[in-house]
Amino acid sequence: MRESTVMFLHYITAILIAITGLIHLLANNDPAIGPLIKSNTALYLGNMAIFLAALLYHAFNGVRVILIEMVPDRCWTKWIGWAILIVGVVTYAVGLQVLMVALGLA
Amino acid sequence: MASEEAKDYVLPPEVLEETVRASEELWKPVKKVKFRIYKYNPKKDYAPHWEEHELEVSKGMTVLDALLTIKGEMDPTLGVRYSCRMGLCGSCAMMINGKQMLACQTRVLEAAGDGDVVELRPLDNFPVERDLAADFTHFFEKHKSVKPWIIRSDEVELNNPTGPYKQTVDEYARYYQFTDCIKCGACLSACPTAATDYEYLGPQALAQAYRYMVDTRDDGLDVRIAVVDTEHGCWRCHFAASCSDVCPRGVDPAQGIQLLKRLIIKRKFGYKPHKPAEALPAKVKAESKSGG
Amino acid sequence: MEAESGYREYYARNMRGISGWFKVRAYTIERWLYAAHRITGILIVLFILAHFYSTGWHPGLWWDALLGVVVTFHVANGIRLILAELGLAIGKPLLIKKPSQRPVSIEGVQRYLVVFALVLFIVLAAIWAYYALVVQSMMG
Repeated sequence: MRESTVMFLHYITAILIAITGLIHLLANNDPAIGPLIKSNTALYLGNMAIFLAALLYHAFNGVRVILIEMVPDRCWTKWIGWAILIVGVVTYAVGLQVLMVALGLA
Repeated sequence: MASEEAKDYVLPPEVLEETVRASEELWKPVKKVKFRIYKYNPKKDYAPHWEEHELEVSKGMTVLDALLTIKGEMDPTLGVRYSCRMGLCGSCAMMINGKQMLACQTRVLEAAGDGDVVELRPLDNFPVERDLAADFTHFFEKHKSVKPWIIRSDEVELNNPTGPYKQTVDEYARYYQFTDCIKCGACLSACPTAATDYEYLGPQALAQAYRYMVDTRDDGLDVRIAVVDTEHGCWRCHFAASCSDVCPRGVDPAQGIQLLKRLIIKRKFGYKPHKPAEALPAKVKAESKSGG
Repeated sequence: MEAESGYREYYARNMRGISGWFKVRAYTIERWLYAAHRITGILIVLFILAHFYSTGWHPGLWWDALLGVVVTFHVANGIRLILAELGLAIGKPLLIKKPSQRPVSIEGVQRYLVVFALVLFIVLAAIWAYYALVVQSMMG
Protein backbone atom coordinates (compact mmCIF):
# COMPACT_ATOMS: atom_id res chain seq x y z
CA MET A 1 0.00 0.00 0.00
CA ARG A 2 1.22 3.46 -0.84
CA GLU A 3 2.12 5.71 2.06
CA SER A 4 -0.53 8.21 0.94
CA THR A 5 -3.27 5.56 1.22
CA VAL A 6 -2.11 4.65 4.72
CA MET A 7 -2.06 8.27 5.84
CA PHE A 8 -5.35 9.14 4.14
CA LEU A 9 -6.96 6.30 6.09
CA HIS A 10 -5.24 7.77 9.18
CA TYR A 11 -7.29 10.95 8.70
CA ILE A 12 -10.50 9.09 7.83
CA THR A 13 -10.22 6.90 10.93
CA ALA A 14 -9.55 10.02 13.00
CA ILE A 15 -12.95 11.38 11.98
CA LEU A 16 -14.60 7.97 12.55
CA ILE A 17 -13.09 7.79 16.05
CA ALA A 18 -14.42 11.25 16.89
CA ILE A 19 -17.98 10.17 16.00
CA THR A 20 -18.08 6.58 17.28
CA GLY A 21 -15.97 7.46 20.32
CA LEU A 22 -18.47 10.13 21.31
CA ILE A 23 -21.27 7.55 21.15
CA HIS A 24 -19.18 5.15 23.23
CA LEU A 25 -18.51 7.82 25.86
CA LEU A 26 -22.15 8.93 26.02
CA ALA A 27 -23.37 5.34 26.29
CA ASN A 28 -21.19 4.68 29.30
CA ASN A 29 -21.26 8.03 31.08
CA ASP A 30 -24.51 9.84 30.39
CA PRO A 31 -27.38 8.76 32.66
CA ALA A 32 -30.04 10.06 30.23
CA ILE A 33 -28.78 9.02 26.79
CA GLY A 34 -26.65 6.05 27.88
CA PRO A 35 -29.41 3.44 28.46
CA LEU A 36 -31.14 4.60 25.28
CA ILE A 37 -28.07 3.80 23.17
CA LYS A 38 -27.26 0.59 24.99
CA SER A 39 -30.81 -0.76 24.64
CA ASN A 40 -30.17 -1.29 20.93
CA THR A 41 -27.48 -3.94 21.33
CA ALA A 42 -26.89 -4.60 17.62
CA LEU A 43 -26.39 -0.93 16.88
CA TYR A 44 -24.11 -0.42 19.84
CA LEU A 45 -22.10 -3.53 18.95
CA GLY A 46 -21.72 -2.27 15.38
CA ASN A 47 -20.65 1.11 16.64
CA MET A 48 -18.10 -0.46 18.95
CA ALA A 49 -16.73 -2.73 16.20
CA ILE A 50 -16.15 0.28 13.95
CA PHE A 51 -14.76 2.31 16.85
CA LEU A 52 -12.37 -0.45 17.79
CA ALA A 53 -11.15 -0.97 14.23
CA ALA A 54 -10.68 2.74 13.60
CA LEU A 55 -9.04 3.33 16.98
CA LEU A 56 -6.60 0.46 16.55
CA TYR A 57 -5.72 1.48 13.01
CA HIS A 58 -5.14 5.08 14.09
CA ALA A 59 -3.22 4.16 17.23
CA PHE A 60 -0.97 1.55 15.66
CA ASN A 61 -0.33 3.62 12.57
CA GLY A 62 0.68 6.47 14.88
CA VAL A 63 3.08 4.14 16.68
CA ARG A 64 4.42 2.99 13.31
CA VAL A 65 5.02 6.58 12.22
CA ILE A 66 6.90 7.33 15.42
CA LEU A 67 8.95 4.13 15.10
CA ILE A 68 9.98 4.66 11.49
CA GLU A 69 11.00 8.20 12.33
CA MET A 70 13.07 6.86 15.22
CA VAL A 71 14.64 4.04 13.16
CA PRO A 72 15.21 5.60 9.72
CA ASP A 73 16.90 2.50 8.28
CA ARG A 74 15.00 1.53 5.12
CA CYS A 75 15.42 -2.16 5.85
CA TRP A 76 13.81 -1.76 9.27
CA THR A 77 11.00 0.43 7.89
CA LYS A 78 9.42 -2.53 6.06
CA TRP A 79 9.71 -4.85 9.07
CA ILE A 80 8.20 -2.27 11.40
CA GLY A 81 5.19 -2.01 9.09
CA TRP A 82 4.60 -5.77 9.02
CA ALA A 83 5.17 -6.21 12.76
CA ILE A 84 2.72 -3.43 13.57
CA LEU A 85 0.14 -4.94 11.19
CA ILE A 86 0.33 -8.36 12.90
CA VAL A 87 0.17 -6.86 16.39
CA GLY A 88 -2.76 -4.70 15.30
CA VAL A 89 -4.78 -7.61 13.86
CA VAL A 90 -4.17 -9.73 16.97
CA THR A 91 -5.19 -6.84 19.22
CA TYR A 92 -8.38 -6.35 17.19
CA ALA A 93 -9.31 -10.02 17.65
CA VAL A 94 -8.66 -9.80 21.39
CA GLY A 95 -10.51 -6.50 21.56
CA LEU A 96 -13.61 -7.95 19.84
CA GLN A 97 -13.65 -10.79 22.35
CA VAL A 98 -13.33 -8.36 25.26
CA LEU A 99 -16.18 -6.36 23.73
CA MET A 100 -18.46 -9.42 23.46
CA VAL A 101 -17.75 -10.35 27.07
CA ALA A 102 -18.40 -6.82 28.24
CA LEU A 103 -21.76 -6.74 26.42
CA GLY A 104 -22.70 -10.16 27.77
CA LEU A 105 -22.89 -11.85 24.37
CA ALA A 106 -20.19 -14.47 24.87
CA MET B 1 33.76 67.95 -20.59
CA ALA B 2 34.10 64.76 -18.58
CA SER B 3 35.19 66.66 -15.46
CA GLU B 4 32.18 69.00 -15.76
CA GLU B 5 29.80 66.04 -15.87
CA ALA B 6 31.53 64.43 -12.95
CA LYS B 7 31.20 67.65 -10.97
CA ASP B 8 27.40 67.40 -11.20
CA TYR B 9 27.47 64.06 -9.42
CA VAL B 10 29.52 65.20 -6.41
CA LEU B 11 27.33 65.42 -3.33
CA PRO B 12 26.90 68.82 -1.65
CA PRO B 13 29.31 69.10 1.32
CA GLU B 14 26.58 69.07 4.00
CA VAL B 15 24.99 65.88 2.58
CA LEU B 16 28.40 64.24 2.28
CA GLU B 17 29.17 65.17 5.89
CA GLU B 18 25.85 63.70 7.03
CA THR B 19 26.50 60.47 5.10
CA VAL B 20 29.96 60.09 6.56
CA ARG B 21 28.62 60.79 10.06
CA ALA B 22 25.84 58.21 9.68
CA SER B 23 28.26 55.59 8.40
CA GLU B 24 30.69 56.31 11.25
CA GLU B 25 27.79 55.96 13.67
CA LEU B 26 26.98 52.56 12.14
CA TRP B 27 30.51 51.26 12.60
CA LYS B 28 31.31 52.82 15.99
CA PRO B 29 31.82 50.16 18.69
CA VAL B 30 28.77 50.00 20.98
CA LYS B 31 29.40 47.16 23.39
CA LYS B 32 31.51 44.12 24.08
CA VAL B 33 29.95 40.79 23.05
CA LYS B 34 31.27 37.38 23.98
CA PHE B 35 31.21 34.80 21.17
CA ARG B 36 30.99 31.13 22.18
CA ILE B 37 32.10 29.21 19.15
CA TYR B 38 31.84 25.45 18.56
CA LYS B 39 35.17 23.99 17.52
CA TYR B 40 35.31 20.48 16.14
CA ASN B 41 37.25 18.71 13.46
CA PRO B 42 35.83 15.18 13.03
CA LYS B 43 39.05 13.97 11.41
CA LYS B 44 41.23 14.98 14.36
CA ASP B 45 39.28 15.78 17.51
CA TYR B 46 37.86 13.24 19.91
CA ALA B 47 35.05 15.58 21.00
CA PRO B 48 34.01 19.15 20.26
CA HIS B 49 35.00 22.02 22.53
CA TRP B 50 33.93 25.64 22.87
CA GLU B 51 36.12 28.67 22.38
CA GLU B 52 35.26 32.13 23.62
CA HIS B 53 36.29 35.41 22.05
CA GLU B 54 35.36 38.93 23.07
CA LEU B 55 34.78 41.55 20.46
CA GLU B 56 33.74 45.19 20.34
CA VAL B 57 30.69 45.21 18.10
CA SER B 58 28.97 48.07 16.33
CA LYS B 59 25.39 48.62 15.21
CA GLY B 60 25.91 47.45 11.64
CA MET B 61 28.10 44.45 12.36
CA THR B 62 26.70 41.12 11.24
CA VAL B 63 27.64 37.81 12.81
CA LEU B 64 29.60 36.96 9.67
CA ASP B 65 31.58 40.21 9.98
CA ALA B 66 32.36 39.29 13.57
CA LEU B 67 33.40 35.77 12.57
CA LEU B 68 35.72 37.09 9.88
CA THR B 69 37.26 39.52 12.37
CA ILE B 70 37.78 36.66 14.82
CA LYS B 71 39.26 34.51 12.05
CA GLY B 72 41.57 37.31 10.97
CA GLU B 73 42.73 38.57 14.35
CA MET B 74 42.20 35.93 17.02
CA ASP B 75 41.78 32.39 15.71
CA PRO B 76 42.99 31.68 12.18
CA THR B 77 41.97 27.99 12.44
CA LEU B 78 38.24 28.84 12.64
CA GLY B 79 36.26 27.04 9.94
CA VAL B 80 33.33 28.99 8.51
CA ARG B 81 31.69 28.77 5.10
CA TYR B 82 30.49 31.95 3.37
CA SER B 83 30.39 33.42 -0.07
CA CYS B 84 28.19 36.38 -0.99
CA ARG B 85 27.69 38.14 2.40
CA MET B 86 24.23 39.35 1.33
CA GLY B 87 21.84 36.48 1.93
CA LEU B 88 21.75 35.14 -1.61
CA CYS B 89 24.07 32.15 -1.67
CA GLY B 90 22.90 30.26 1.43
CA SER B 91 26.38 29.20 2.56
CA CYS B 92 26.52 30.68 6.04
CA ALA B 93 23.43 29.26 7.78
CA MET B 94 24.26 28.27 11.36
CA MET B 95 22.74 28.01 14.81
CA ILE B 96 22.86 31.51 16.30
CA ASN B 97 21.75 31.37 19.92
CA GLY B 98 19.89 28.14 19.22
CA LYS B 99 18.02 29.13 16.08
CA GLN B 100 18.86 28.59 12.42
CA MET B 101 19.81 31.91 10.80
CA LEU B 102 22.07 33.25 8.08
CA ALA B 103 25.20 34.69 9.70
CA CYS B 104 25.39 37.39 7.03
CA GLN B 105 21.79 38.56 7.59
CA THR B 106 21.84 38.65 11.40
CA ARG B 107 23.27 41.59 13.25
CA VAL B 108 25.24 40.74 16.37
CA LEU B 109 23.29 43.17 18.56
CA GLU B 110 19.98 41.68 17.34
CA ALA B 111 21.20 38.15 18.03
CA ALA B 112 22.57 39.07 21.46
CA GLY B 113 19.42 40.98 22.47
CA ASP B 114 19.66 42.17 26.07
CA GLY B 115 22.49 39.77 26.89
CA ASP B 116 26.05 39.94 25.67
CA VAL B 117 26.69 36.33 24.64
CA VAL B 118 26.27 34.95 21.14
CA GLU B 119 26.49 31.17 20.88
CA LEU B 120 27.42 29.78 17.48
CA ARG B 121 27.01 26.14 16.47
CA PRO B 122 27.00 24.39 13.10
CA LEU B 123 23.52 23.52 11.78
CA ASP B 124 21.75 20.81 13.76
CA ASN B 125 21.01 17.49 12.06
CA PHE B 126 23.75 18.01 9.47
CA PRO B 127 27.08 16.17 9.67
CA VAL B 128 29.86 18.50 10.80
CA GLU B 129 32.49 19.30 8.19
CA ARG B 130 34.61 21.47 10.48
CA ASP B 131 33.72 23.98 13.21
CA LEU B 132 30.76 26.00 11.89
CA ALA B 133 30.61 24.45 8.42
CA ALA B 134 28.11 21.63 7.88
CA ASP B 135 28.31 18.84 5.31
CA PHE B 136 25.51 19.33 2.75
CA THR B 137 26.08 16.18 0.68
CA HIS B 138 22.92 14.34 1.77
CA PHE B 139 20.91 17.57 1.61
CA PHE B 140 21.79 18.08 -2.05
CA GLU B 141 21.22 14.39 -2.77
CA LYS B 142 17.69 14.72 -1.42
CA HIS B 143 17.14 17.82 -3.51
CA LYS B 144 18.34 15.96 -6.59
CA SER B 145 16.18 12.91 -5.85
CA VAL B 146 12.92 14.85 -6.42
CA LYS B 147 14.08 15.71 -9.96
CA PRO B 148 14.11 19.50 -9.65
CA TRP B 149 13.92 20.21 -13.35
CA ILE B 150 11.19 20.39 -15.99
CA ILE B 151 10.24 16.92 -17.20
CA ARG B 152 8.58 16.73 -20.63
CA SER B 153 7.81 13.98 -23.10
CA ASP B 154 9.17 16.00 -26.05
CA GLU B 155 12.83 15.98 -25.12
CA VAL B 156 14.13 17.53 -28.33
CA GLU B 157 11.87 20.53 -27.88
CA LEU B 158 12.83 20.82 -24.22
CA ASN B 159 16.53 21.01 -24.97
CA ASN B 160 16.19 23.37 -27.97
CA PRO B 161 13.02 25.38 -27.40
CA THR B 162 11.69 27.04 -30.54
CA GLY B 163 9.52 29.56 -28.70
CA PRO B 164 8.57 30.89 -25.27
CA TYR B 165 6.39 28.88 -22.91
CA LYS B 166 3.25 30.82 -22.05
CA GLN B 167 1.86 31.02 -18.53
CA THR B 168 -0.84 33.18 -16.98
CA VAL B 169 -0.11 35.13 -13.79
CA ASP B 170 -2.21 32.67 -11.76
CA GLU B 171 -0.24 29.73 -13.07
CA TYR B 172 3.00 31.57 -12.30
CA ALA B 173 1.82 32.50 -8.79
CA ARG B 174 1.28 28.82 -7.93
CA TYR B 175 4.99 28.07 -7.84
CA TYR B 176 6.82 31.41 -7.88
CA GLN B 177 7.28 31.66 -4.12
CA PHE B 178 9.16 28.33 -3.95
CA THR B 179 11.69 29.39 -6.58
CA ASP B 180 13.23 31.78 -4.03
CA CYS B 181 14.87 28.87 -2.19
CA ILE B 182 18.63 29.36 -1.74
CA LYS B 183 19.32 25.87 -0.31
CA CYS B 184 20.83 27.14 2.94
CA GLY B 185 19.65 24.05 4.85
CA ALA B 186 17.96 26.01 7.68
CA CYS B 187 14.59 24.29 7.11
CA LEU B 188 15.90 20.73 7.21
CA SER B 189 17.93 21.64 10.28
CA ALA B 190 14.88 23.06 12.09
CA CYS B 191 12.62 20.11 11.20
CA PRO B 192 11.83 17.92 14.25
CA THR B 193 11.44 14.84 12.03
CA ALA B 194 14.95 15.35 10.65
CA ALA B 195 16.27 15.26 14.22
CA THR B 196 15.88 11.47 14.20
CA ASP B 197 15.04 10.55 10.61
CA TYR B 198 18.20 10.85 8.52
CA GLU B 199 16.40 9.54 5.42
CA TYR B 200 13.55 12.07 5.55
CA LEU B 201 13.47 14.10 2.33
CA GLY B 202 13.05 17.34 4.22
CA PRO B 203 11.12 20.58 3.69
CA GLN B 204 13.44 21.93 1.02
CA ALA B 205 13.25 18.91 -1.31
CA LEU B 206 9.49 18.47 -0.81
CA ALA B 207 8.73 22.14 -1.44
CA GLN B 208 10.82 21.96 -4.61
CA ALA B 209 8.97 18.81 -5.68
CA TYR B 210 5.70 20.73 -5.29
CA ARG B 211 7.16 23.68 -7.18
CA TYR B 212 7.79 21.53 -10.26
CA MET B 213 4.61 19.45 -9.95
CA VAL B 214 2.31 22.47 -10.29
CA ASP B 215 4.34 24.09 -13.05
CA THR B 216 2.20 24.03 -16.22
CA ARG B 217 5.25 23.35 -18.39
CA ASP B 218 5.92 20.12 -16.53
CA ASP B 219 4.65 16.56 -17.13
CA GLY B 220 6.48 14.77 -14.30
CA LEU B 221 3.67 14.61 -11.73
CA ASP B 222 3.57 10.83 -11.41
CA VAL B 223 7.35 10.47 -11.60
CA ARG B 224 7.74 12.75 -8.57
CA ILE B 225 4.82 11.25 -6.64
CA ALA B 226 6.70 7.93 -6.76
CA VAL B 227 9.62 9.69 -5.02
CA VAL B 228 7.83 11.83 -2.42
CA ASP B 229 4.97 9.45 -1.55
CA THR B 230 7.18 7.02 0.41
CA GLU B 231 7.81 6.11 4.05
CA HIS B 232 10.43 8.84 4.38
CA GLY B 233 8.67 11.28 2.07
CA CYS B 234 6.09 14.00 2.56
CA TRP B 235 3.90 12.08 5.05
CA ARG B 236 6.56 12.31 7.73
CA CYS B 237 5.79 16.03 7.95
CA HIS B 238 3.51 16.74 10.91
CA PHE B 239 3.26 20.47 10.43
CA ALA B 240 5.45 21.79 13.23
CA ALA B 241 5.99 24.71 10.79
CA SER B 242 9.52 25.43 12.04
CA CYS B 243 10.87 25.25 8.50
CA SER B 244 8.79 28.25 7.46
CA ASP B 245 9.63 29.99 10.72
CA VAL B 246 13.39 29.90 10.10
CA CYS B 247 13.43 30.37 6.31
CA PRO B 248 15.53 33.48 5.61
CA ARG B 249 13.88 34.00 2.20
CA GLY B 250 10.22 33.69 3.20
CA VAL B 251 9.73 30.61 1.05
CA ASP B 252 7.23 28.90 3.39
CA PRO B 253 8.14 25.23 2.76
CA ALA B 254 5.53 24.05 5.30
CA GLN B 255 2.79 25.40 3.06
CA GLY B 256 4.37 23.67 0.07
CA ILE B 257 4.40 20.30 1.84
CA GLN B 258 0.75 20.55 2.94
CA LEU B 259 -0.29 21.53 -0.58
CA LEU B 260 1.81 18.63 -1.88
CA LYS B 261 -0.12 16.23 0.38
CA ARG B 262 -3.37 17.67 -0.91
CA LEU B 263 -2.15 17.22 -4.48
CA ILE B 264 -1.23 13.58 -3.87
CA ILE B 265 -4.61 12.81 -2.25
CA LYS B 266 -6.36 14.50 -5.17
CA ARG B 267 -4.25 12.53 -7.64
CA LYS B 268 -5.55 9.33 -6.02
CA PHE B 269 -9.03 10.39 -7.10
CA GLY B 270 -7.87 11.20 -10.62
CA TYR B 271 -7.32 14.96 -10.37
CA LYS B 272 -4.32 16.58 -12.03
CA PRO B 273 -3.20 20.16 -11.31
CA HIS B 274 -3.02 21.02 -15.00
CA LYS B 275 -3.46 19.46 -18.43
CA PRO B 276 -0.43 17.73 -19.95
CA ALA B 277 2.04 20.40 -20.97
CA GLU B 278 1.17 21.53 -24.46
CA ALA B 279 3.59 21.21 -27.33
CA LEU B 280 4.84 24.52 -28.67
CA PRO B 281 3.42 25.95 -31.95
CA ALA B 282 6.61 25.34 -33.93
CA LYS B 283 6.70 21.78 -32.70
CA VAL B 284 3.07 21.22 -33.68
CA LYS B 285 3.74 22.57 -37.19
CA ALA B 286 6.77 20.34 -37.65
CA GLU B 287 4.85 17.29 -36.43
CA SER B 288 1.84 17.94 -38.66
CA LYS B 289 4.16 18.41 -41.62
CA SER B 290 5.97 15.14 -41.05
CA GLY B 291 2.71 13.38 -40.20
CA GLY B 292 0.67 14.61 -43.15
CA MET C 1 38.89 2.07 20.74
CA GLU C 2 35.43 1.19 19.48
CA ALA C 3 33.76 3.41 22.02
CA GLU C 4 35.98 6.26 20.92
CA SER C 5 34.96 5.96 17.26
CA GLY C 6 31.34 5.71 18.38
CA TYR C 7 31.61 9.04 20.19
CA ARG C 8 33.34 10.56 17.19
CA GLU C 9 30.54 9.37 14.91
CA TYR C 10 27.97 10.81 17.32
CA TYR C 11 29.58 14.26 17.27
CA ALA C 12 30.31 14.17 13.54
CA ARG C 13 26.68 13.35 12.65
CA ASN C 14 25.39 16.08 14.99
CA MET C 15 21.82 14.70 15.05
CA ARG C 16 19.68 16.04 17.88
CA GLY C 17 17.87 12.72 18.30
CA ILE C 18 14.55 12.44 20.13
CA SER C 19 15.31 15.58 22.14
CA GLY C 20 15.02 17.40 18.81
CA TRP C 21 11.28 16.62 18.70
CA PHE C 22 10.85 18.57 21.90
CA LYS C 23 13.18 21.48 21.17
CA VAL C 24 10.39 24.05 21.18
CA ARG C 25 11.97 27.16 22.67
CA ALA C 26 13.09 29.15 19.67
CA TYR C 27 10.12 28.38 17.41
CA THR C 28 6.42 29.16 16.97
CA ILE C 29 3.44 27.65 18.83
CA GLU C 30 2.94 24.99 16.14
CA ARG C 31 6.07 23.34 17.45
CA TRP C 32 4.57 23.11 20.96
CA LEU C 33 1.39 21.65 19.52
CA TYR C 34 3.41 19.12 17.50
CA ALA C 35 5.29 17.95 20.59
CA ALA C 36 2.12 17.83 22.72
CA HIS C 37 0.22 15.94 19.99
CA ARG C 38 2.91 13.27 19.95
CA ILE C 39 3.06 12.91 23.74
CA THR C 40 -0.73 12.76 24.13
CA GLY C 41 -0.91 10.21 21.32
CA ILE C 42 1.53 7.90 23.10
CA LEU C 43 -0.35 8.34 26.41
CA ILE C 44 -3.66 7.45 24.74
CA VAL C 45 -2.17 4.28 23.22
CA LEU C 46 -0.95 3.25 26.68
CA PHE C 47 -4.39 3.97 28.12
CA ILE C 48 -6.34 1.97 25.52
CA LEU C 49 -4.09 -1.05 26.01
CA ALA C 50 -4.79 -0.92 29.76
CA HIS C 51 -8.48 -0.32 29.02
CA PHE C 52 -8.61 -3.51 26.89
CA TYR C 53 -6.92 -5.54 29.59
CA SER C 54 -9.75 -4.67 31.93
CA THR C 55 -12.66 -2.79 30.36
CA GLY C 56 -13.85 -1.44 33.67
CA TRP C 57 -10.43 -0.08 34.54
CA HIS C 58 -10.16 3.66 34.92
CA PRO C 59 -7.43 5.65 36.58
CA GLY C 60 -9.81 7.23 39.11
CA LEU C 61 -11.67 10.46 39.73
CA TRP C 62 -9.06 13.20 39.19
CA TRP C 63 -6.95 11.04 36.94
CA ASP C 64 -10.05 10.60 34.79
CA ALA C 65 -10.23 14.36 34.36
CA LEU C 66 -6.54 14.36 33.45
CA LEU C 67 -7.19 11.63 30.89
CA GLY C 68 -9.85 13.96 29.48
CA VAL C 69 -7.24 16.71 29.05
CA VAL C 70 -5.01 14.32 27.12
CA VAL C 71 -7.78 12.98 24.88
CA THR C 72 -9.50 16.30 24.18
CA PHE C 73 -6.20 17.95 23.32
CA HIS C 74 -5.48 15.20 20.81
CA VAL C 75 -8.98 15.58 19.33
CA ALA C 76 -8.94 19.39 19.10
CA ASN C 77 -5.42 19.57 17.69
CA GLY C 78 -6.19 16.64 15.41
CA ILE C 79 -9.03 18.61 13.81
CA ARG C 80 -6.60 21.47 13.18
CA LEU C 81 -4.03 19.09 11.72
CA ILE C 82 -6.53 17.41 9.38
CA LEU C 83 -7.57 20.81 8.03
CA ALA C 84 -4.00 22.08 7.71
CA GLU C 85 -2.36 18.93 6.37
CA LEU C 86 -4.94 18.48 3.65
CA GLY C 87 -4.16 22.02 2.53
CA LEU C 88 -7.57 23.44 3.43
CA ALA C 89 -6.60 26.19 5.86
CA ILE C 90 -3.06 26.94 4.84
CA GLY C 91 -3.41 29.89 2.47
CA LYS C 92 -2.15 30.33 -1.05
CA PRO C 93 1.46 30.75 -2.18
CA LEU C 94 2.36 34.44 -2.44
CA LEU C 95 3.22 36.22 -5.65
CA ILE C 96 4.40 39.43 -4.00
CA LYS C 97 6.38 39.37 -0.78
CA LYS C 98 7.00 42.14 1.68
CA PRO C 99 10.67 42.75 2.61
CA SER C 100 10.29 40.87 5.90
CA GLN C 101 7.56 38.43 4.93
CA ARG C 102 6.32 36.11 7.67
CA PRO C 103 5.18 32.71 6.38
CA VAL C 104 1.54 32.52 5.30
CA SER C 105 1.17 28.99 6.61
CA ILE C 106 1.89 30.28 10.14
CA GLU C 107 0.50 33.82 10.22
CA GLY C 108 -2.41 33.36 7.82
CA VAL C 109 -5.72 31.52 8.36
CA GLN C 110 -3.87 28.86 10.28
CA ARG C 111 -3.37 31.30 13.23
CA TYR C 112 -7.14 31.44 13.69
CA LEU C 113 -7.24 27.68 13.40
CA VAL C 114 -4.74 27.40 16.27
CA VAL C 115 -6.90 29.67 18.43
CA PHE C 116 -9.99 27.67 17.45
CA ALA C 117 -8.26 24.39 18.35
CA LEU C 118 -7.15 25.72 21.75
CA VAL C 119 -10.63 27.06 22.56
CA LEU C 120 -12.21 23.78 21.45
CA PHE C 121 -9.70 21.94 23.64
CA ILE C 122 -10.65 23.97 26.71
CA VAL C 123 -14.39 23.55 26.08
CA LEU C 124 -14.15 19.79 25.48
CA ALA C 125 -11.85 19.33 28.48
CA ALA C 126 -14.33 21.23 30.68
CA ILE C 127 -17.23 19.04 29.49
CA TRP C 128 -15.18 15.89 30.08
CA ALA C 129 -14.17 17.09 33.56
CA TYR C 130 -17.84 17.80 34.35
CA TYR C 131 -18.78 14.24 33.40
CA ALA C 132 -15.80 12.71 35.20
CA LEU C 133 -16.17 14.68 38.43
CA VAL C 134 -19.91 15.46 38.74
CA VAL C 135 -21.98 13.07 36.64
CA GLN C 136 -19.89 10.00 37.52
CA SER C 137 -20.30 10.58 41.23
CA MET C 138 -24.05 11.08 40.74
CA MET C 139 -24.26 7.78 38.84
CA GLY C 140 -22.36 6.10 41.68
